[in-house]
Amino acid sequence: MQKAKNIILNFKKYSFLMRQLITRDFKVKYKRSVLGVVWSLLYPVLMMAVMAIVFSQMFRFQQEGVSYLVYLMTGLIMFQYFSEATNNAMVSVVSNFALISKVYIPKYIFPIAKCLFVGINFILTLIPWFILILLTQVGLGEYPASINWYYLLIPYIFFCFFLFTIGIGLLISCISVFLRDMFYIYGIILTIWNYFTPVFYSLEILPVKLQMIFKFNPLYQFITAVRSIVLYGARPSFTTLGIIGLIAVGTLALGSYVFKKNQDKFIYYI
Amino acid sequence: MIRLENVSMKFNLGIERNFSFKQAFIDFFAGKKKKKKEEFWALKDISFSVKKGEVIGLIGSNGAGKSTLLKVVSGVMKPTKGTVSVHGAISPMIELGAGFDSELTARENIYLNGSILGYSKEFIDEKFDDIVEFSELKDFLDAPVRNFSSGMVAKLAFSIATIVNPEILIVDEILSVGDIKFQEKSKNKMLEMIKGGTTVLYVSHSLESIQELCDRVVWIEHGQIVKIGETKELCQEYYKKQMGRELKSKK
Repeated sequence: MQKAKNIILNFKKYSFLMRQLITRDFKVKYKRSVLGVVWSLLYPVLMMAVMAIVFSQMFRFQQEGVSYLVYLMTGLIMFQYFSEATNNAMVSVVSNFALISKVYIPKYIFPIAKCLFVGINFILTLIPWFILILLTQVGLGEYPASINWYYLLIPYIFFCFFLFTIGIGLLISCISVFLRDMFYIYGIILTIWNYFTPVFYSLEILPVKLQMIFKFNPLYQFITAVRSIVLYGARPSFTTLGIIGLIAVGTLALGSYVFKKNQDKFIYYI
Repeated sequence: MIRLENVSMKFNLGIERNFSFKQAFIDFFAGKKKKKKEEFWALKDISFSVKKGEVIGLIGSNGAGKSTLLKVVSGVMKPTKGTVSVHGAISPMIELGAGFDSELTARENIYLNGSILGYSKEFIDEKFDDIVEFSELKDFLDAPVRNFSSGMVAKLAFSIATIVNPEILIVDEILSVGDIKFQEKSKNKMLEMIKGGTTVLYVSHSLESIQELCDRVVWIEHGQIVKIGETKELCQEYYKKQMGRELKSKK
């Protein structure tokens, strides 16, 4: 109880710092760019356009009965968030070394601030995403996406997805302090992870046995839950929603535990 | 206010090298046996306490462990052994400007650095003009810190760090910041804080400023306390040991 109170107090105390770090990231990111924050909206749209052309026109990927564009963009923005947030979180501790070695600051602030910063960008990308869904209603693509009351579940799924991302972020930022090779290893892991997550293809094209294995991929669970609402208008089963919650809490607990265990040693390794 | 009991701090000098394949490979072919861990005790069995309002000077040659001691007190490092208890808010000035982002303007950096030091937004809003005034950088507020000279950066950092009246102030050789005028100003600011009852841990190689500011002095050598005592006596003893001649008193 006391511990929980302390954590909350700490969060309050450092929430201003968190906000400062996030605004700093925004300012630095869009410094000297003409379009500035518009890029947050434009970038996913252009990315999706490229992928859509490559996969639906050249490779002839499609989804029977649903809008392939929405299918693609849902997977794309979610994976993009995950990869960008975890990547940023990973380097955050090491790159803030100058600070850590001079002033006492709770170190978990850095990876979490990065996940939040990329998260704000992610929320911005939901605008073009939703516009796309609306456009399919008026005839963009072959099939319309669905708009329904189950959309109210999406914030829950995204929240779990966010917790999951923080968990991974804490874990790898901690590892990378001790093992700088992680920067490279994780890049490769992400590439593999990208191809093993059905972002542009559908799981059905794989052999049944492989499908089973692919379902253990947490990202698959998150993305599929959102897709089933948006594309099919179907509510994800309670089991799925439960599993998503468990993945999120479990990963976050693991990440926090490892981070907490090792954070006092950081200073000798940076 | 501050209490250190048997504080020891161990560094593992081997860490840098042991952790690569290259080294493992070389060791393998060189037929080296597992080498002993290279340990280095930066602090050994340090105990002393500082009362509220006291100004303590730390002296000792380079690498004696003074800065490590400050880091232990400010909570940046946890001691390997022993306990440190600190009552009161600490304002660390261990190294000025560590929290600056060179891409941001001075204005933005005041907020960023302030938040790093644990100030609230309201507090910075309120004190903003004082900070700017003290730093003498009014005309450069919206220029990125990247373009500042090192003296300007230090001035800004000093102004941010000293705007609070912290209960405990940790100072590592910073009175040599800026031009002569600013040095004088920052010294006066320090004196003012000391008069206001701030507890100070002060590291400096300038015996002159130590004599001027400190109530007591802790002399550290090779991570161990050589002596704790009255400022003037200890400064003289220290000077004699280091230089082989008497320290000429100013007065």
